[in-house]
Formats: sequence, C-alpha cells, structure tokens
Amino acid sequence: MDSSLELKRPPEAPLLRRHRWARLLPVALVAPTALFALAITVLPLGYSVVTSLQEFRLGQPPAFVGLQNYQNLLHDVNFKNSLGTTLVFTITATAAEFVLGLMLAMLLKDEFPFQGIIRSSLIVPMAIAPVVVGIIWRLLYNADVGLFSFAVQTVTGKSISVLSSATLALPALIVVDIWEWTPFMFLLLLAGIQSLPQEPFEAARMDGAGPWNIFVHLTLPMLRPVIVVALMIRALDAFTVFDQVFVLTQGGPGTATEVATLMIYKTAFRFSQFGYGASMAITLLILVMVFSAAVTRAFRGTV
Amino acid sequence: MTRRRFVQNSAAAAMAGGAVGALSHCGGNATSNNRGQITFGSYADPALDILKEVFLPEFERDTGIRTEWVEADFSGWFQKALNDGQTRAGAFDIYVMDDLWVPRFAGASYLANIDELGFQADQDFVPAALDLGFWPPKTGLRQPGIDPKARSVLYALPLISDLQLLFYRNDIYSQGSPKTWGEILQVARERSDPARRQYGWVTRGVKGNPIVNSYFVLLHAFGGEMFGESWKVVFNSLQAVEALEFYLSLLAYEPPGVAEFDSDQEGATLLQGNAFAATMWTGWCGQTDDPARSRVVNKINFDVPPKQVKQVAKLGLFMAGIAASAPNKAGAQEFLKWFSSPSVQLRFARNGGIPFKLSAFQDEEARKKSRWLDAILKCLACGVPSPRTSDWSKVEDILGTELNRALLERGKAKQHLDAAAAEATAFLKGAGYPSG
Repeated sequence: MDSSLELKRPPEAPLLRRHRWARLLPVALVAPTALFALAITVLPLGYSVVTSLQEFRLGQPPAFVGLQNYQNLLHDVNFKNSLGTTLVFTITATAAEFVLGLMLAMLLKDEFPFQGIIRSSLIVPMAIAPVVVGIIWRLLYNADVGLFSFAVQTVTGKSISVLSSATLALPALIVVDIWEWTPFMFLLLLAGIQSLPQEPFEAARMDGAGPWNIFVHLTLPMLRPVIVVALMIRALDAFTVFDQVFVLTQGGPGTATEVATLMIYKTAFRFSQFGYGASMAITLLILVMVFSAAVTRAFRGTV
Repeated sequence: MTRRRFVQNSAAAAMAGGAVGALSHCGGNATSNNRGQITFGSYADPALDILKEVFLPEFERDTGIRTEWVEADFSGWFQKALNDGQTRAGAFDIYVMDDLWVPRFAGASYLANIDELGFQADQDFVPAALDLGFWPPKTGLRQPGIDPKARSVLYALPLISDLQLLFYRNDIYSQGSPKTWGEILQVARERSDPARRQYGWVTRGVKGNPIVNSYFVLLHAFGGEMFGESWKVVFNSLQAVEALEFYLSLLAYEPPGVAEFDSDQEGATLLQGNAFAATMWTGWCGQTDDPARSRVVNKINFDVPPKQVKQVAKLGLFMAGIAASAPNKAGAQEFLKWFSSPSVQLRFARNGGIPFKLSAFQDEEARKKSRWLDAILKCLACGVPSPRTSDWSKVEDILGTELNRALLERGKAKQHLDAAAAEATAFLKGAGYPSG
C-alpha cells in the first residue's frame, strides 16, 4: 500500500470507522430528504389509489367498493371520449410545436443583429400564465367582436363562431397550445443545435453536401436525444392540459373539447364523486407511464 | 466559524425567533381588546364588495372581533371549501356558498347546526331566502338516505339575495315590462337588426350551469319541472320540449356565438346597448346605471321574468354557513346575528347591497337608491331554487351538455332532452335514487 495515501487520509476517519453508526451516517443524512420526497409524492399517490377503491355517499363514511370504479370506467363512454380528445390534442399540438420549434431554431441559430430581442420576444407566450393565455384567446375568438371573426368576416362576408363550433373548437384550443408552447420547443432545440460539434458539418460542406442533406443526415440524427426529450416533456405536459380548456370552452361545445383532466376535475370536485374521479386519475397516470416507458424503450441508447 | 459554533448560533437564532413570535402573540392578546378573529372563505364576486369594504370594518368596530376575508374564483373556492370541510382543517369560520352547495355541505356535516348554536330567525327574513339554509329541505323531494321524517335544521343564512330577474330596455318596451315570453319573441322579431348589432334577446349558452340557468326559467314558465315524484327525471316532458323549442326560436335574434357566452358576455352585450332584454343575476343591476360601464344608463328596467303558464324567477342566493370545524364558532355566529339584524340590513340596502330582510326591501331610501329592489322582492316571492340534492351538479352537467348541443344544432329539442334524461336517469339510479 502506498504510504502517501495513508498520510492524506483525514484524521477523523479511523475514529469514525470505530463506530458502527458511522456507516449509517450517509443514510441518516439522506433520510430527511428521502422521507420528505416520499411524503409529497408517494403518500398522496397511495391515498389516491385507496380513494379510487372507495365510494363516497352524502353523509356516510367512504365505503370500500374494490375495483367497481374501474369496472364502471370501462363502460363510461364519456371518459373514453375524453381520452380520445386528449390523445388528439396531445399528438397534434406536440407535433406542430416540434415542427415549428425546429424551424425557428434552424432559422435563428446563427448570429444576427438584434438576436437577443428577437429570441426574447419569441419566448414571451411561454412566460404568460395559462389562465391569462386562455382569457386573451377567448377575446380573440369572440364571435361578435373577436379578431378572428372580424378577419373571416372581412374576407368571406360571414361571421365565424370558433369556440361554439363542434368542429373548430378543438383545433382552436390546439392553436392556443401551439402559440404558447412552441417557444419551449424552440428553446430546447436551439440549445441542442448550438451544442452540436461543428467538425462533422464542416467536413460535410467540404465534401459538397447541400443544406438539406446536412439537415437530414447530420443535424437531425445528432439532435435526436434532444428531440426525444423535448417531445416527451411536451407530450406529457399536453396530456394534462387543463387551464386553457377550462377558461376557453369548459369542455364544450357539447363534449368536443372535454379532455381527461377536465373530466377528472369535474367528477371529483363538482360532482363530489371522489372515488370515481380518483380512478380516472389513476387510469390516466397509468396511460402516461405506459406512454413514457414506450418512448424510453423505443429510443433506448439515444437518450 | 466552526461547525459546532454554526450549529450553536443557528439553534440560538431559531429559539430567539420562536420566542419573539410567541411573546408578540401573547402581547397581542394582552394589550388589545379584541375578541378573536373569524375567517371568511368566499368566491370573488362584486356583489360582496360592500360587505367586505363597508360592513366588515363596521362589524370589527362594533364587536371587537377581527375578520379575515379569503377568496378565490368560484370553482377554486368550492374546491377549497370541500377540502376544508372534509378534512376538518378549521381554516375557515364562515363558508360563503352558492345556495346549491347547502345540500352537499349540510348533508356531509361540513356545517354547524345554527339552530343548536342558539340562533333564532325572526319573521323579517324573506321566507324563500331563509328556506334555502335548511337541510333537509323544508318542502319538496328529499334525497335518498335522508330520513323523510327528519326535522329540517337551519345550517346557513342568506348573505346576498342573488337571483335572475328580467332586464329589459325601457326605450324598446315603452309600454312597460313584457308580460309574456311571446311578447319577447315578437319584439325581437320586429326590432332586431343584426347589421347594427341590435338583438332582441341574449342568453348564456355555455354548457353546464350557465345554459341550465338560462333554460331553467323558461322550463318552469312553460309549466315544466326538473324532477317529478320520486326523483323521476321529467325535463324531457312536453312542456320542457316546448320551452326548449321556444328558447331555440330566440336564437335567430341573438348575437352570434351565444353558445359560448357566459354571464360576462351576456351582461356586456346588454350594457353595450346591443340587446333589448335578458334574464341576468342581480349583480348586474348596479352596473346598468354606471356610466363607466354602461351605454344604457337609465334605459334598463327590471321585473320578474315573463309568464307563459307560470311566472318564476331562478334563485341563486349567496349563503353563509358556519364551518363545523370553525375555530371561532361564537364569533361566526355573532357575525350572522349582527349582519341579519334589521338595522344592519337596512344600512346594507341603503348602501346598495341586496338584503334578505323584508323591512330593508321596503325602506324608501333603499328603494330609491336601488330601483331594482322591488323587482327582486317580487322575484323572491315566485323564486325557484335549484333542486335540493347534492347530486344536482352532475345532473346539471348532463343537461347542460345536451342543451348546448341543441343550441349548436338550433333544433332537435326533444332528441337532446331525451338523451339528457336517459343519462341523468342512469346516473341517479346508480346513485341510489328510487326511480331516477
């Protein structure tokens, strides 16, 4: 053994080794944080699982009903519809935000005058509270005095009522989400692009590769880990969209924009069906976990 | 600084901080003459401004009880109040509630029994307003699980007499208020001019509570009901279909996009001078004569909604109940007693508030200041509240969704009401109602 190593060892170390609890010291130091993390994550989740197995009747203590709530969910057409709406919303919004974010990132990746101002102004929508975003767009979509209705009326001579149209309401919500969250994609992808090594790009240009070929065969593959993370974060967030829907449409017209989170909220808090609402929430959680696991598995090795 | 020293200093600082807090608390009790504090939880609503800004400070001066007002948006407060009631956290002494919350909160024992606390309601209360605070309800159907013979107990008192009354333009209806719904349609047909943004009627069409409240008045005016005997769903009866068809016939004379209108857009349309009439909540009354908010100052009059078979108004009172877990029940009860006293109610009305005592409604000065008080009192006399069941919100959501669909399709009244009735019946059966 190297004697110099012995000399560098701190003087307390042999003393600590003598005590059995010294080996438990790291555990003891980590324990408060771990317990706190457990308390704010695992316990509420566990409570929700227990709640999902109960039925709440007015003036009576909660009754254990086993998997009855989950069985009811299987036949609940409204919940299935809300899951479908959530899926359409998530896929469409995330895909559009990715494409637009990537385009913006490619466009603004190089140095140019006033880049700070332009980049900062691009991320403003992301900094606005979702409820405020909802109110802004509710005014824009207003059938009588809204900007959209005015524009459409100017061009076609007919007014349009976006939020009260069963076919247009969901696309209108997706547009709001795209407006708000494309900057997030842009930021992530821009950071990813700027961190790519430049040598492969210089070599490709020297070999005569054009911009499109460089983009398809170099930029995209090299950016893949960032793309996967960006898509995953946005998709998970879109899965749980609530604020804009709540402010803009309340799930209407009819049930055209009734996303799963809104239905869970209404079931638990408006209708006081806490058990049934909890079973919906747990089901949504499982679906989101399955989705995350599938994406992680599909891109294993690249992330 | 050594680690040992740091730990010692930190501990000393923490102890000193704790001691300062404790001592200041003791000092506060010892030096001031206050009698504790009561905490109100409420939804935000302009109708409560007078209470918060004028009357709570007065209550503090009169009684020495401090008050704290915690508010959130309607849904947010409902959620908080439910949590507080369920966990018995004791964060609030008084819950400000929509009257349709009373069955849920009283039924689940989230509210203290005001009778037991020794409160005596006098004869000056508007009966329809006071009745909403009883559980089980004094009249009408009783929810399953509630003993049919159980005595009705007072759990909440009215706070603001909110209801839907008819707002109509006196320059359009120059002969006085429209007496029938047919008259509303006729005037709308004759005088609407969409090119000049002049509409005969405006309504709330957003799914759920807003559209159900709009339809509620028509349903009852046409002789319909929500529930028949043993909670049988009857909002798809012949009268109900006729009411909805009438409601849809008004659409041709309404602004575009009413299917997405809530109270704010409905009120704005009327106050901007773009609609001739609407049934709206009392909270809008004061704004009609405010030049900063209204282009139709002194051009709006108020009355009970028109008659078809019956003449009814929709009640939606603000109620105040003492939380079962209230830390200061005595203080909360003292507030309810103080606020419902004839003298305070009189001053409340004279300041522009909507009272719930008959004597305040009849006061000349109050009636002069708030020219809508007479109409409100008439509406209270023929008012109908939401069905008294804790499951009403779910049924309301089902009905509201189908009404909204009918509005979008501008037709198929029977089909949509039948669909809503079938879904509501299935839900009620599942929830243990006798015949749903």
